[in-house]
Amino acid sequence: MNMTTPIEQREFKIVGKSVKRDDVLEKVTGEAQYTGDIKLPGMLHGKIKRAAIAHARIKSIDVSKALAYPGVKAVLTHETVPRVLHYGSPHPRSASCTKDQYILDHKVRFWGEGVAAVAAISEEIADEALDLIEVEYEALPGVFEPEDAVQLGAPLIHEVGPGGNLVLDPVRVNRGDIDKGFAEADFVLEGTFAGGRPHPAYMEPNVCVADWDGSNKLTFWTSTQTSFMVRGILAEVLGLPLTKVRVLVDHMGGGFGAKQDLFQHEFLCALLAKETRRPVKMEFTRHETFVAGRSRHPCKIWLKQGFKNDGTLVARDMKLVYDSGAYGSHGPGVTIVGTTAATSLYRCENVRLEGRCVYTNTPINGAFRGYGVVQSYYALDIQMDEAAERLGMDPAELKLKNVVRAGDIAPSGHPIIGHGLEICLKHGIDVLDWTTLRGRDRTPDPKRPHIRKGWGIGCEMHGSSAYPGIKEQGNATVKVNEDGTVTLLTGAAGLGTGAHTALAQIVAEELGVRFEDVGVIHGDTDVVPWDIGAFASHTTYLVGTAAKMAAEKVRAAVLARAAMKLQVSAEEIDLSEGKVFLIAEPDRSMTVSEAMGPSRGIPAANIVANGTYEPTKSYSFAAHFTEVDIDTETGIVEVKRVVPVHDVGRVIHPIAAQGQIEGGIQQGIGHTLTEDYVIDKKTGRSLNAGLVDYKMPLSMDMPDIETIILEAAPDPGGPWGAKGVGEDPIIAIGPSIANAIHDAIGVRFHHYPITPEDILKALREKGA
Amino acid sequence: MRRFDYHRAETLEHASRLLTELGDDTFLFNGGTDLLVEIRERLRRVRNVVDIKQIPGLSDITYNETRGLTFGALVTVGRLENLSLVRQRYPNLRSALASLGSIQVRNRATVVGNICRASPSADTIPPLVADGAFVHIYSRTNMRVVPICEFFTGPGRTVLAKGEIVTGITVPPAGDNTGKAYLKHGRRKAMELSTVGVAVSLAMDDGVCSDIRIALGAVGATVLRAPQAEAMLRGTRLDAEAVRSAADKAMEECTPISNVRASADYRRDMVGVLTGRAIKQALETFA
Amino acid sequence: MKRMVEFTVNGEAREMAVNGCCSLLDALRDEVGLTGTKKGCDVGDCGACTVLVDGEPVNACLMLAVEAEGRAVETVEGLQPGVDRLHPLQDAFMRHGASQCGFCTPGILMMAKKLLDDNPHPSDEDIRFGLSGNICRCTGYTKIFDAIKSAAREMEATRP
Ligand SMILES: Cc1cc2nc3c(=O)[nH]c(=O)nc-3n(C[C@H](O)[C@H](O)[C@H](O)COP(=O)(O)OP(=O)(O)OC[C@H]3O[C@@H](n4cnc5c(N)ncnc54)[C@H](O)[C@@H]3O)c2cc1C
Ligand code: FES
Ligand code: FES
Repeated sequence: MNMTTPIEQREFKIVGKSVKRDDVLEKVTGEAQYTGDIKLPGMLHGKIKRAAIAHARIKSIDVSKALAYPGVKAVLTHETVPRVLHYGSPHPRSASCTKDQYILDHKVRFWGEGVAAVAAISEEIADEALDLIEVEYEALPGVFEPEDAVQLGAPLIHEVGPGGNLVLDPVRVNRGDIDKGFAEADFVLEGTFAGGRPHPAYMEPNVCVADWDGSNKLTFWTSTQTSFMVRGILAEVLGLPLTKVRVLVDHMGGGFGAKQDLFQHEFLCALLAKETRRPVKMEFTRHETFVAGRSRHPCKIWLKQGFKNDGTLVARDMKLVYDSGAYGSHGPGVTIVGTTAATSLYRCENVRLEGRCVYTNTPINGAFRGYGVVQSYYALDIQMDEAAERLGMDPAELKLKNVVRAGDIAPSGHPIIGHGLEICLKHGIDVLDWTTLRGRDRTPDPKRPHIRKGWGIGCEMHGSSAYPGIKEQGNATVKVNEDGTVTLLTGAAGLGTGAHTALAQIVAEELGVRFEDVGVIHGDTDVVPWDIGAFASHTTYLVGTAAKMAAEKVRAAVLARAAMKLQVSAEEIDLSEGKVFLIAEPDRSMTVSEAMGPSRGIPAANIVANGTYEPTKSYSFAAHFTEVDIDTETGIVEVKRVVPVHDVGRVIHPIAAQGQIEGGIQQGIGHTLTEDYVIDKKTGRSLNAGLVDYKMPLSMDMPDIETIILEAAPDPGGPWGAKGVGEDPIIAIGPSIANAIHDAIGVRFHHYPITPEDILKALREKGA
Repeated sequence: MRRFDYHRAETLEHASRLLTELGDDTFLFNGGTDLLVEIRERLRRVRNVVDIKQIPGLSDITYNETRGLTFGALVTVGRLENLSLVRQRYPNLRSALASLGSIQVRNRATVVGNICRASPSADTIPPLVADGAFVHIYSRTNMRVVPICEFFTGPGRTVLAKGEIVTGITVPPAGDNTGKAYLKHGRRKAMELSTVGVAVSLAMDDGVCSDIRIALGAVGATVLRAPQAEAMLRGTRLDAEAVRSAADKAMEECTPISNVRASADYRRDMVGVLTGRAIKQALETFA
Repeated sequence: MKRMVEFTVNGEAREMAVNGCCSLLDALRDEVGLTGTKKGCDVGDCGACTVLVDGEPVNACLMLAVEAEGRAVETVEGLQPGVDRLHPLQDAFMRHGASQCGFCTPGILMMAKKLLDDNPHPSDEDIRFGLSGNICRCTGYTKIFDAIKSAAREMEATRP
């Protein structure tokens, strides 16, 4: 679609309303089927033996005792599985990564990596059998920090790739003239920033079930965001045509990006089922979701920016190093997206960026909501606050001055559409009466003299779709049935975001039928049109437009058929709320059902159309305003209130959009203050792989959130201007908290999570 | 998870016999909220569990002015938490009970299980130590009563011999002149294992502190008393200055370690802050 | 060694043979075939497995099936008052967007039911305290609080 296409304005009947989500009915009654709920006759249970060493060569594996254990049906090791080098994630096919993974290898690259798999008649027996597998290792020196991994002579983790433990060649972006920029600067700010290793901690542990039929076809249920990618890579690695692999996902219990990879257990489950000729289920323990799941890339950033005394930004020099963990996974994508994102947010003509991604002997980092940008914008936004402080300016004012606006070149290389970020900021400033808030009386409450209050702002922007890293394609098939009901077939996964409901709303709106008359079929790769997967906040934007295009086509066909039946021309009639009527004479009408049904001499019809859409990219924007309370004796930071202001172009389902924002804020508060998956820097062992010590904010910890959604900058690439919202909230909340902490106690933090110990230490250093 | 066998004991004698007869790797099963987690997370090798919940007479709660509060081994955290008597007389214990895990966990977890697990961070131990509670122990040869501060011998270790069973706990009566508090420090407001827990139990006579006990959780191999800090406070009016120096002393008296939850230094700092705050809160009883 | 155990689930008597180590959660999901109750951690941390046993909420993962002998177990599948009627909480969860991925929903619904049964007019603080053993990673809880408050009002309005 052409970027200059005007956005159709209309009075919406269904879009913009919080219609009842169909899928939720099954969820509140307990009927919704998740992969773990599947039980097949004769089903076996698989378990994975995991290495208790971070870097080693396997000298020998003896599985004889495990195989002899009563109830055990099969054991697989690197000696018995196909040795096929593959990508961990589907994306690198177009984002220049090296294939660096085997199903099982003779080398261990992180503590917790699978070295063998067992299938047995019960989960307990499989678990007990793991202890009977004897592995002899030759320990290799490990590296656990990117700075150590890139040293000359550091142990090499992979034989493939660009070498030097780099996952990909450094990503470099240059715009303008950096030297000229710094020469023009009145002052320069320079700092280093560091991000921890938050884990998505979705509630449903990874799980899959594999079943082969007599014709050697694999049916595979799995909790994934990218079922077609699972199908593709499974088929490739198992040497099967796509017709012999069927992937099914009905409901899934969250993914937040991390369920996009092809996991070791997925291959092993399929292979165990093949070997035993019985269905096999493999379910992660909560512990495994950490060690064998995917976390956000820890990142170290060096950022130097030049400013004029009027607040103009004239130069930005930035180096980012992302820690990929033991395999590439989404490292390339994250590095490219996170690095190029730093061209934008705050306008700057002279930019030099360099992003690296490095292997270490730690658990794999992958995709997680915010995809590399959480890290880079944390640095950009905090340093903007510092510049305001240096200038004696209100940070809101400085941010307003510098935020990107319509026509500026976005990270994708396209001009930005609309003044979304400016409008979000201004809106929040007005709603909160920010100036008064900043000028408030700051004397501590005599009843709680150790408490300090602070307010901070965090800004962000984020693209819907993964363009230009990946040229995506959205597909939808819309069928109008003989009775006038409508079936939408989509390959987009239902993560629980309400995406399917939004798609059904779009189809109903475009076609002119009632929302209740649209049914959605999803989750079966043998049936639905191909889809790249649910990620990059793109389902509404990308698949939504495809669905709208398909609906537009069937609408024309329905009108043509009705015109024939009404014996008028198609131009004379219109279709709305399930009724076809004469524009000039609205009382002359027929229902869509009548139009589609049989009448004398005319059999019933079924109209089918496909929509295929290959978009570029749109950007959504947000400014978060956050209040914190800090206990200066314990260092505990409590987030009291968040006012998130988001521009999503066009709201399809307000409650679902708010839900995305509020959930993202919870995760963002988590990684900024309490959540960090900690790996021992000496051994590579996980120190808190469980929900006791991986601390997510819970019901008592959540602040009041007053979500504001604006339709400030609709994007012509999305349905009626709609853009994504899934990832935005988690990016803006972090810097808003860090900036609020500074406002409260006058201390700057450049890292996350900011722990109570950090606060106390800083207060002490400050001499407070 | 690895499999284990389940046995249901009918009497204390039966349970005790099963413990010795079934051999090592046999454990009493009470609420199971510690034991099952240890089994599932492979922290403890268990072949047999002996469920004591059908044994009669272990579910009673009694209170009288001379003996104090006595409750049996099967009394759950949730049941005690919701007793108005506990709320009124033992606010330190009550605060520990209400902060332990979640409502679901508290409906199963027992206080006796909490002390028998002997975790240095167990929430109910500091108030019981501060209140000078007693532990009733059954064995097939005799019964004994052990002051709670002598019950623990190390992290996860107690004086219980093979075949011994705790039948209940007695907490001395709370006089009208007493003030109590328990403060728990963690990163979240609920579902937290305490990084530091401080319990205080004090008595005031005419504005002067006649007795005080301070118990510190999660800052040593077992829950600790802070005897020097206590000594500094006895006989004072517990004014801000006295409390501050005693809190500093308590920081010296603890022996914390560093782990993923917090560093030793931070724990020590929190002992100082929480001791001061707990004393202040205990004094509010008299306000 | 398997043992016979008998208890009621949502009012129906169930009898089954289970291993002594089998949790109530696994028994409900695998033996009874009611998979609405979820396993998010198997160690008491997440609350996805919350069911009511004799009216009290417990983590089904931390209770053995043999311990349920003679007891009454209620799960999400028993929440609906009639085949085509929803409990006010179920309806409110749908209307308010309190369920996204839905994995936490069965446990939270059971906890919320208990909360409202005991306390028909819960304050915000009561609701937050009541749900502190239930992790929801999708919603940020805001919509869940809204739904529970709305259901409380609805139940109040229709109380005889
Ligand atoms: C999600 C979760 C959160 C938790 N949060 C907290 C918390 O915040 N604070 C806290 O302190 N704890 C917490 N716990 C730990 C646990 O709930 C408590 O320690 C509980 O009180 C143990 O009691 P129980 O009856 O469940 O013990 P069980 O697990 O049955 O037993 C614990 C140990 O004591 C032994 N034992 C039990 N009864 C006796 C007896 N009568 N005589 C001798 N030995 C006996 C058992 O053999 C076992 O070794 C939490 C646990 C979970 C699962
Ligand atoms: S599964 Fe029982 S609490 Fe998580
Ligand atoms: S809705 Fe997904 S965890 Fe609550």
